[in-house]
Amino acid sequence: MAAREHLLKIGVSGVRGVVGGFLTPMLAAKFAQAFGTYTGHGRVVLGRDTRASGPMLEHAVTCGLMSVGCEVVKLGVMPTPVIQTWIAETKAAGGIALTASHNPAEYNALKLFNHEGLFFNQYEREELLHLYHQSEFSRAAFDDVALAWEEGEKPVDAHIARILALIDHEAIRRRRFRVALDGVNGAGSLMSIRFLREVLGCELHAIHVNPALPFPRVAEPGPETLGELAALVQREHCDIGFGQDPDGDRLAVADERGVVMDNDDVLALAMDAALHRAGGDVVVNLTTSSVVDAVAAKHGRRVFRSPVGEANVVERMKVVHAGVGGEGSNGGLIFPSVHYCRDSYTAMALLLDQMARTGSSIHQLQEVLPQFTRRGGKVRFRHGTLGPLMQKLEARFAEAAMDHSDGLKLNIGDSWIHVRASNTEPLLRVAVESPSTERADELFAEVSAMLAT
Amino acid sequence: MWSPTKTLRISTAGVRGLAGRGLEAEHALDFGAAFAGLIDADGPILTARDTRASGRMLVEGVTASLLACGRDVVDLGITSTPVMQHAIRGLHAAGGISIGASHNSAEWNALKFLGPQGNYLGTAEAAELLDIYHLRRFPFVTWDKLGRRSEAPDAVDRYLDNIAAEFDLAALGDVRVLVDCCNGTSGAVLRRLRERSRIDFVLLNEPEESVQFAHEPQTTQKAVERHLAPLVKPTGAAAAFLFDLDSDRVAMADEHGVALSEELLLPMLADFQLQRRRGNVVLANVSSTALLEEVAQRYGGQVHRVAVGRQAAMDALSAHRAEDIALAGEGTGAVMLPQFRFVYDGVAAMLAVLTMMKERGRTLSQLMADYPRYSMLKCEMPLRTRRLPEMLHQLEERFAGERQHRLDGLRVDFVDGPAPVWFHVRVSQTEPVIRIICEQRGEAPRQLFEELREMVGGWQ
Repeated sequence: MAAREHLLKIGVSGVRGVVGGFLTPMLAAKFAQAFGTYTGHGRVVLGRDTRASGPMLEHAVTCGLMSVGCEVVKLGVMPTPVIQTWIAETKAAGGIALTASHNPAEYNALKLFNHEGLFFNQYEREELLHLYHQSEFSRAAFDDVALAWEEGEKPVDAHIARILALIDHEAIRRRRFRVALDGVNGAGSLMSIRFLREVLGCELHAIHVNPALPFPRVAEPGPETLGELAALVQREHCDIGFGQDPDGDRLAVADERGVVMDNDDVLALAMDAALHRAGGDVVVNLTTSSVVDAVAAKHGRRVFRSPVGEANVVERMKVVHAGVGGEGSNGGLIFPSVHYCRDSYTAMALLLDQMARTGSSIHQLQEVLPQFTRRGGKVRFRHGTLGPLMQKLEARFAEAAMDHSDGLKLNIGDSWIHVRASNTEPLLRVAVESPSTERADELFAEVSAMLAT
Repeated sequence: MWSPTKTLRISTAGVRGLAGRGLEAEHALDFGAAFAGLIDADGPILTARDTRASGRMLVEGVTASLLACGRDVVDLGITSTPVMQHAIRGLHAAGGISIGASHNSAEWNALKFLGPQGNYLGTAEAAELLDIYHLRRFPFVTWDKLGRRSEAPDAVDRYLDNIAAEFDLAALGDVRVLVDCCNGTSGAVLRRLRERSRIDFVLLNEPEESVQFAHEPQTTQKAVERHLAPLVKPTGAAAAFLFDLDSDRVAMADEHGVALSEELLLPMLADFQLQRRRGNVVLANVSSTALLEEVAQRYGGQVHRVAVGRQAAMDALSAHRAEDIALAGEGTGAVMLPQFRFVYDGVAAMLAVLTMMKERGRTLSQLMADYPRYSMLKCEMPLRTRRLPEMLHQLEERFAGERQHRLDGLRVDFVDGPAPVWFHVRVSQTEPVIRIICEQRGEAPRQLFEELREMVGGWQ
């Protein structure tokens, strides 16, 4: 049962599924028709990552969009954040990125953006889903089928220009950083080479930057998947190593010793840099480490927490006019001065900016962050048992400050527990954090045991 | 009853309708996948479209589904159906989907399916395609086996290579030919042909247009008369030709600017082919002129009559040995030369006419003077009755004793009169109309025509 639910997911975050009999061209085109009907006539920006199924879905989505009277602006292979920026730059009606982000190669998905290049908010997403199910779409007549055209390098230029306006790139260039890069043969591969080597003047040592090849590793960048990058940093004596995901929104980092850093620490360091460059408070999701609170406090800013998911973080950021946001475990920084999008390029630029400004190495910067121990895991549960499980947790930790906005978050002094159900499977994700390693292990063991029974 | 919401026609002849008002993205997607399920042969599947705006949308859908079913796609972009049919053979493709509505106005579009020989699908194959479409069980493949798309920009040149092998283009040089491209696919083909030969093509309505053509791309005498004939004398052309959007049909005017009946192309080319002793069978439908029989008799050839529509011609063609066929076609300017057995080709038909003029050393009007006059009357009446069997039976009763064919509607030949006369009443496959055609050697059979109109009209 669980396996079947996993193969295709049509929900408020769009469509995601395994290409083949599940995510079919018909389904993609129909969702594009719903999207185009919802946004109304106008230009829709369309781009994709380097997955083998990208071209097929691109044709299907183009067909669907044209059939409801949208003009299609084809960006081809393009990082998701660049697609989002281009929607805003060109005042398009909306945009679609064909990418399953960090998911395996057999998956693909439609990520949908509104006219500002932002994820739809919760209400818009529900409306769109109803429209999809209703299946009453606009129909372009013969003289109303608009053009599809391509944009070349212009979106990349525009995105880079936005980043450069916010950092001291001359200072970065002067340092001539030695940078390692693992592009996972993704949509950002070529842009990353240009950005790091030509724009930021780094001495670049790049692997897996051929968009025509399949993903060489697990697509999600992190300590377990970036062994090659770590070795490259050591071999070439690099100052820093960057690992991207296939659509260029997530970033993981290896320090100058070749140690892949904890994603929450990377987020905290990039946020530190961002808060030097911009005003405003901080928004992170409920599972993001408290290390972010320390960084915000240093700059005298507040921290707001949102449910997990980029769309939720962005929605809250707009409400509180945040200066920076992100999601720790996913390695995603959102810096609205560039655009309200998770963006590995902005994160890379900010980290190098911080290194250039302070003269410290990335590991030295990490060392001054407060230390937390984080533990996490997944527990399977039977449908219908979730309520009693949560009540049991609440009763056990009755003294905790509770947050019910996304699963259950229990703040117990300077430690916390976050338990939430997966969107796609009957799984509970458990995260625990504490400044004390013993306390973190103890809490994690106890919660895991309670949920397992 | 015709209504703008009932324009979709899914049949063994293809899928056709008003774009966005019957023919939708879904049809492109579903039929792309169904076609992938039908075709067993290896090799890529070609796509091409005429200049219509809705073709952009439809080709995207067809492409997505073919790729999803693991078929490689080679896109020829905007080009004529004959160019595609030749390319299927040249590229060893498994088949092709041609998107275009031929002689219909800009709001129409259609999907046409071509087999591994560049041929239109036979009725049995086309019926199987419909079964797969209706069953909706499509052969999707996993992500690592998806097809890839590429383009073949030199398809026009490869097509002209085949044309040049059949016609002595150098010998045709220095003749001025006026062409109305109707903003379709013939412009690009003829520009290239002009470069490769010395034929002095003067092209009208040459730019490719997507939503409005200079006029309806009907290859009829009336269209030639109105749009092309008046320009023949001012340009000093030796002949003038009008092509439909996908260049499979052609109509013509002579050097005096006289528009010729669309019925005359077939007998003329039958003359051309039979004289060269290339086969002795002419395939034509029951609605085409009886002049064909008269011309065929001059050379001892035979005319085989089939039901109206491309499908019937294709089925009949496959029942004959290739070397027996002299010509196949319809009285609508769609002609297939047996050298290119699989394709109705207006450009090839035009070159055959020019070759005939050259070889016989005569002008087009002089060639026409060889044929006795036949007068045809045609009309279409809106289809408002479902009692068609009764209507046809009434006609059968009225003309009992005459030679009758029930192949496609009713054709009746009056064999005993002073001049040969026949009529044909049938229901259109593409539009909700009844077509009445009458023809007589010499004067028009007006009295018979009026009687038929009245009888058919009585059922409306």
